[in-house]
Amino acid sequence: MHHNIYLRSSDFLFRFTSIYFCPEFLKAKCLMNCEVALILERKYEQLQQMSDDPVNQVSQVFEKSLQYVQRFSRYKNPDAVRQVREILSRYELAEFELCVLGNLCPETVEEGIAMVPSIKSRGRVHDDEAIEKMLTDLSLIKKFE
Amino acid sequence: MFYLSKIEHTLRLPPHLLNLPINQAIKGELEGLFLDKVIADLGLCISIYDIHSIDGGFITPGDGASTYTVMFRMIMFRPFVGEVIAAKLKESDREGLKLSLGFFDDIHVPEHLLPMPKQFEPESGNSNQGRWIWEFNGDNYPIDAVDEIRFRVHHVTYPSLPVEQEKASKPFAPMIVIGSLDADGLGPISWWV
Repeated sequence: MHHNIYLRSSDFLFRFTSIYFCPEFLKAKCLMNCEVALILERKYEQLQQMSDDPVNQVSQVFEKSLQYVQRFSRYKNPDAVRQVREILSRYELAEFELCVLGNLCPETVEEGIAMVPSIKSRGRVHDDEAIEKMLTDLSLIKKFE
Repeated sequence: MFYLSKIEHTLRLPPHLLNLPINQAIKGELEGLFLDKVIADLGLCISIYDIHSIDGGFITPGDGASTYTVMFRMIMFRPFVGEVIAAKLKESDREGLKLSLGFFDDIHVPEHLLPMPKQFEPESGNSNQGRWIWEFNGDNYPIDAVDEIRFRVHHVTYPSLPVEQEKASKPFAPMIVIGSLDADGLGPISWWV
């Protein structure tokens, strides 16, 4: 006998995605360390609420990744994280350039070019002044955390 | 670099999980299958981000389990060539350095990708382990386990699964990152601050 079970996946889909749905990440293909930190922290909170024994539920890779991204993110506040992506998106940067700059937060133009040499390659729009303005805007976010 | 990758997978849900809510059962199976595993060219799976759709639920003849086609997104760790990453020193020997991120350990900086001129200072009693020191402008800059170390990704390989392994060989590494310290701004943070 052949059994068919048809599921209405739409019910479950809505309930499930509402836990993790973050509109600001839909457009992002790369994630900065601070964004990953927010995602994993949110997930950890969810696990704590849903279960009596959250420590066991969390795999080693989850815990270690959370430790790493928390240690290596400059911005902890969700508003600040959103601002970083917003500011960097104003400049014509590739996704990965945006993320590396958001991760490493270079303070000077030289450091920025050393970390992400592609922003200064031939044909790109960015001159030193534009890069400096971008880095200054970034550093201002840190101050109001 | 962390990426969100969209993946489609056909999943067999064992019968003992059928009493759980479907999303929880599927998520549990996916996590057991993918977390902390490397998918070639996609990277290391860190966490499930969301589930986009669950289709199917058919039971094939002779099987007790139901089969679903799931579309979901996962956070992947996939370093790209040229990326600058901060890591910690795990080991240092004549062949170079081994760095670690905590959740990922297979990062090698071979000695020819260390900044020159350089010198190796072996540990007393063990001539293979030791410290590497960069000589610049008459000063000595050692590479110690104190700071975070920034390296640039030189290349990433995904070796294929070995068919047989000898007993004494090193554990198989499905993703290997070769890094370089040979440029401005790279190496221990204390060198540049």
